[in-house]
This record gives sequence, C-alpha cells and structure tokens, in this order.
Amino acid sequence: MTNKNETVMALLGQPNSGKSTLFNALTGMRQHVGNWPGKTVEKKEGTFSHNGRESLVADLPGTYSLSANSDEEIITRDYIASGKADVVCILADSSQLERSLYMLADYAGINVPCFLVLNMSDVAELQGKKVNVKAIEEKLGIPVVSFSAPDRKGYDVFYEAMERAVREKTILDTSDLEKRYEELEGYNDIKALMKEGVVAGYSSTWLAAKVIEGDEPVIAKMKAAIGGDEKKKLEMLLAKIDKGVVQTGERKFAWIDELLEGGIDAGENNVSLRKFDRLITHRVWGKPVVIAVVLLGLIGSFIPALPLMGVGMLIGMIPDPLYNGMISAGCPMIIATVLCDVLIRSAAFVVQMLGFVFGVTLVFGLLEEIGVMARVSYVFDNTMGKFGLQGKSVMPFLISFGCTMGGAAGTRVIDNWGQKVLTIALAWAVPCGAAWAVIPMLSTIFFGAWVPVIIVVILLVMVLHMWLTAKIFGRSLVKEEDRYGMIMELPPYHKPKWGALFRYVFGRTKDTFIRALKVVVIVALAFWLLSYTGGGDISGSILYKIGHFVEPVTKFFGMSWQTFMAFIASSLGKEGALGVLGTIYSGTGTISVGSMVGGETVSNINELLVQNISKPEALALIFAMTFNMPCIVALAATYQETHSVKWTARIALYYTGVALLLAGIAYHVGLLIW
Amino acid sequence: MEELIEILRDGKSRTVEMMAIELNTTVEKIRRDIEFLEHTGVIKKVDFQTACGGGSSCDGCTSCGTGSKSCQSCMPKEGFQNMGTMWEI
Repeated sequence: MTNKNETVMALLGQPNSGKSTLFNALTGMRQHVGNWPGKTVEKKEGTFSHNGRESLVADLPGTYSLSANSDEEIITRDYIASGKADVVCILADSSQLERSLYMLADYAGINVPCFLVLNMSDVAELQGKKVNVKAIEEKLGIPVVSFSAPDRKGYDVFYEAMERAVREKTILDTSDLEKRYEELEGYNDIKALMKEGVVAGYSSTWLAAKVIEGDEPVIAKMKAAIGGDEKKKLEMLLAKIDKGVVQTGERKFAWIDELLEGGIDAGENNVSLRKFDRLITHRVWGKPVVIAVVLLGLIGSFIPALPLMGVGMLIGMIPDPLYNGMISAGCPMIIATVLCDVLIRSAAFVVQMLGFVFGVTLVFGLLEEIGVMARVSYVFDNTMGKFGLQGKSVMPFLISFGCTMGGAAGTRVIDNWGQKVLTIALAWAVPCGAAWAVIPMLSTIFFGAWVPVIIVVILLVMVLHMWLTAKIFGRSLVKEEDRYGMIMELPPYHKPKWGALFRYVFGRTKDTFIRALKVVVIVALAFWLLSYTGGGDISGSILYKIGHFVEPVTKFFGMSWQTFMAFIASSLGKEGALGVLGTIYSGTGTISVGSMVGGETVSNINELLVQNISKPEALALIFAMTFNMPCIVALAATYQETHSVKWTARIALYYTGVALLLAGIAYHVGLLIW
Repeated sequence: MEELIEILRDGKSRTVEMMAIELNTTVEKIRRDIEFLEHTGVIKKVDFQTACGGGSSCDGCTSCGTGSKSCQSCMPKEGFQNMGTMWEI
C-alpha cells in the first residue's frame, strides 16, 4: 500500500508474455519511465483506477526466471521480496505454457500474494490449445484467469482476480513442488538450515532451492546469517551437489507438467521427420544424397554461365581488328597495345568468368534459402570427428565455399587453438567463390563438355586432400579428448524469396566483376611490362629469360614456364592467372594474336590458349590452381586468426607443394588419356 | 534434462527432432530444456554472426585490402542466414 492507500501491483513475466501490452492497457497515459536506482535497467510505473480505487502498477523487467544471473532478475526479485508490492500479477503465454510457466515455478516459495494470468489466450485458441483454467486454479490456490489483452471484455475478470488476490492474500501453494524437491539429495538438510527472516519475503523452500542452484547472493546472505557449525554443514552439503540448477529445474518442469496434466488439450503432437530430412539424417544415405544434391546444383549452375562465355568470347575478338584499326588511324603502338592486348583481353576473360560467378552464387544462395545448406551442415557435422574436430567446424568449411577468408574468420567460434588451425588448414582445400568461377571457365575452354567430370574429380581429390592433410597436420595440432555432442535446430524448408535472392546474386556478381577486373588488369599489365621488348619478339624480354631458366623444373610438374607463371599468379588470387594467360601468349611487341601460332591466325584468346597449351598441360594447370593456396587475402586472414607465422608458412608451403605434385600427377594422367 | 545431457556425451550431433525421438518426448519439451540450459549456462549457442558473417561486421577484418568492399564481394552479403542454430555444452 502506498501512503494514499493505493494498492501496489507488480507485473511479472518472461519476455514476450504480454506484460507491456497489459501495462499500457491498464495505465494508458498515466505512466512514467525511469531507471531502477543505480542501474541502467528501465523502470516503468503507472497508475489506474477501478471501482473508485486507485492502484499503482510496476512493470518489472521481463526475465526468464528469478535467478541471480542478471541485474534485471536481481532487481525484480528484490523488489518483490521487499514487500513494496501488495500483489504480484504473474503472466504466462498460453500458447507455450510448458515453457512460460517456468517463471511461476521460480516464483514458488515467495510469500507475496499473487495471481496468474494466462495471457495470449487468443493465440492459444488459434493453435487449438485449450486450457482448463479451473483445474489449474485449484491446484495452485491462487486466482487464475485466461486473458487476451486486446479483448476489452476480459478485463473484468482480470480486475476481479486482482482484487480477490489482494483481499484474500492468496499465496501460491507449493506443497506439490516441495514434495518433488524433497527427492533431491541434501534438500531436507539444507532446508532445515535456512533461517526464516534472514532474507525477508522468501520461504525456506525457495531459499533451499536457490542455494542448491548455486545462487551466490542467497548463499552469501545465508552463510553470513548462520553460525560456524551450521555454516560448515551447509558448505559440506553444497559441495556434494553437482549441477544443482539442472536438478531443481527438472523438478520445476515436472511440477509444471503435472499442473497442466489434463489442463491442456493440444491435439496430437507426433514427432516425425519430414521425408527428405529422414533421408538426410540416415546414417548410410545421408551423405550421398546431400553430395548428389550439391553436385547437381553445381553442374546446373554452369548452364547460365555459357551465354556469358559467349559474350566474353565476342569481346575477345575485338582486340585484333581494333588494333589494326587504331594503328592505321595513327594511334601510337604502345597505347593500342595496352588497350587491346591488356585491357580488352582482360575484360574478355573476366566477362567469361562472370557467368560462372552468377551461376554458382545463384545455386548456393538458393540452396541456403531453401534450407538445404543447413542439412549439409548437419550431415557433415558428424564427419568432423574423423578429422579430430568438433561438429561446429563444419561451418567454416561451408563458408569457405564462398571465401576462404570468411572461413578463417569463421573459426573464431572454435576455442581450441589447435583445432582452429587444423580447421583453417583444411578449409584451404575447399575451392572458394573465385575458384568456382575461374576453374570451370578454364575447364570449359579446354575440355568443353567434360567439365562436370573434371569437377567431380576435383571434389574427390579435395576430400582425399583434406583427409591426408588432417592426418599430417592433425598429429601435432589436436589430440583425442572428450567430445560432447551438439544439438541443432534445423530451419524449416521454405520457398525462396526470389526477389531478394536475385538482388543478392546480381550484387555479388557486380562486385566480383569489379574486383576481378582490377586484379586481372593489374597482373596483365605487370606481365605485359615484363615481357616487353622493343623488337616484338618475346624471347628478348626479362620474362622470357626467367621463364626459360625455370622451365626444366616446371616441366617436371607438367607445366611449361608460361602456365607455371599463371600458377604463381594464382597464389595472389585465382583470377590473377587469367591476367597472365591473357598476355603471356600474345606477348608484346607482337602485334596481333596470330603471330604466336606459327602463321595461323586465331580469332580470340580462348583459341589462343587451346593452341598453345596441350590438354595434359591444361589439366595440370587446372589442378595446380585449384589446390594452390586460395589467395593472398586468405593467407593474411590465416595469419590473423592463428597468430602464428610458423603455421601460416607451413600451411602455405604445404599447399603450394601439394598443388605442384597434383599437377604432375594430373599431367601424366592427361598423357594417358590424350 | 539430465538424460539429455547424458546422451550428448557420445559426441554426435543431433537435431531437435532426433532428440525428441530418442528421449521419447515432444519437440516442445526439448526446446524448453534447451531454453533452460541456455539460460543457466549449461549449454551455449554457437554464434557465427560475430565471426565475419557479412558486410556489416567487416570492420574487424583488417586483412580486407580495400576495406569492406572486398569482404562483400567474396562472402555472402548477409552472412549465412538460414543455417539454423547450434548449441554445444
């Protein structure tokens, strides 16, 4: 009661139990917001009148329970226990009673009169849930009302309940809950030690439960209040308890379930996995199905790529005639060459690449939108154990499909440093977004319709690579340890939002175009300069000299010095290789594309490459590029995440070496085929 | 709930539906247990969004040469939105 004989009511409930709506409906404009003294927690108070009586309402912060885990909870329970409120209105969400009554269970044992409001009854009704209010009221011994804030008529019942609670000082009947608590080891002894009145407003039942849960403020107060022997006894009893909060929690839930028994009629609630999910979570079929889906998606993504390749090829036909035109118009050779040989050719390559960027982004984006990616993450969750990693490591791998740098950053959720480094080391083997554009593009240029086969082989090699890498690096990074499993909540399947998806795909394609163009042009320009000789014959240039010098070594891996240079450039970024390939065969000083190919003229760069690089060599290059280090940014990110120069260098050298090895193998396999 | 924690000792990952089936209870009860265990700190949600999950959080990526622009061109813009939730002990 306030000085003016007003009733004080406190609103208690979990977040989203409708407290604010009720508060606003009761008080209208007669409310003010402030802060709880000394805290940053918002305090809302208001007044309303009913039947000629004024009442004060305090909207307590919405919290899950009344533990000591947060300021909000401590403020809430202190306010209630202080007795400032004459009555507490406890709200619960009728459509989720099993969960939302936990607040009531945590309140049980507090001796301030209360009444229960089963809010959102309209939502519950829509879901077909019926609540037996009378039965619950009988078991609890306090007024219980079914309520729906928007429904004006329900307020009469509300006011009635409130007034009854104030008048009769109804306190929650905790006898059933108490019986369950008594099952807990040590409860009775601990309860006996709880001195009444030490912490005002709370019964010994509540105090004992909290102490078992490890509630520090309560334990501290109790220890201060009881004397030497009893304090030691308390400490001894508490030491025997393990995960007390889970034990009391289980009892509270059991109490709630019994309360609701016969009280809710929710219709059948069968758990059954949807058909596709059942397939995916199957021990044997799960992985093959997921892999097949992803593979089909990947290969399907190459379809939209073809038209763009056509466009790119057309662009690639421009340099020759344009060059001739510019020269005859009197344009200085150097400008014409840079424009035609470097810029336009680079653009031609990048445009060809774009189609694949678009396709892959669309497919992966679609798979994620629908919810398939979440299933992929689940299926391979369990495989992580074979690598010595925790289930959640699967996410960095999935992120690496888009960008290895993102994958490295994604390992921030992994606490164990060794596992983090191993995850990153393995993630490097996953082809990133740039790879998914450049590699299929090059494969299409050289192998046409065989691309799907090559992709499948690449993926197989990737798995083998990861397995091997895990074996090699695993030994020094991770050790066997107890692993707890994970719980996953998979999102429901749903129709993709096409508008947002396409906006995202176009946006990303555009961003990639700009970025790739920059990289390719810069690399192309650099190599053009290196291969420049005044006379027009490339054999006089610096590049050629270096190239010929290293060629004996590069041949070992199946690559000529030119493709080897492309491989090196791909360490910067996959599209860098395109910059090299675009200029290294046309050379400078050599005016037209045609002069490199023994007299025959070729009309575009693609043909140029095909003429200059044999199929086995192309295969070698493709494998070398795919399994090379992802890009310089990934290298930097790896260092940033691992904070270890040693490991970053090891991983980089390992990947470069293995890439060359694979190139050599691919070359010899290629020789067998072609 | 103690059963739930016990089951997880084998190190495998399970979906909420699978746990409900294994523990012979309803999905709602499993979700309730998860909510409780999360609030009491027994289990923890695995949060990938704070790790480089997209353009907005790219301020921490000092390795992005051209700032957040290159971050976005490599990574899904809003990060992975529809991957569900994972909890671990």
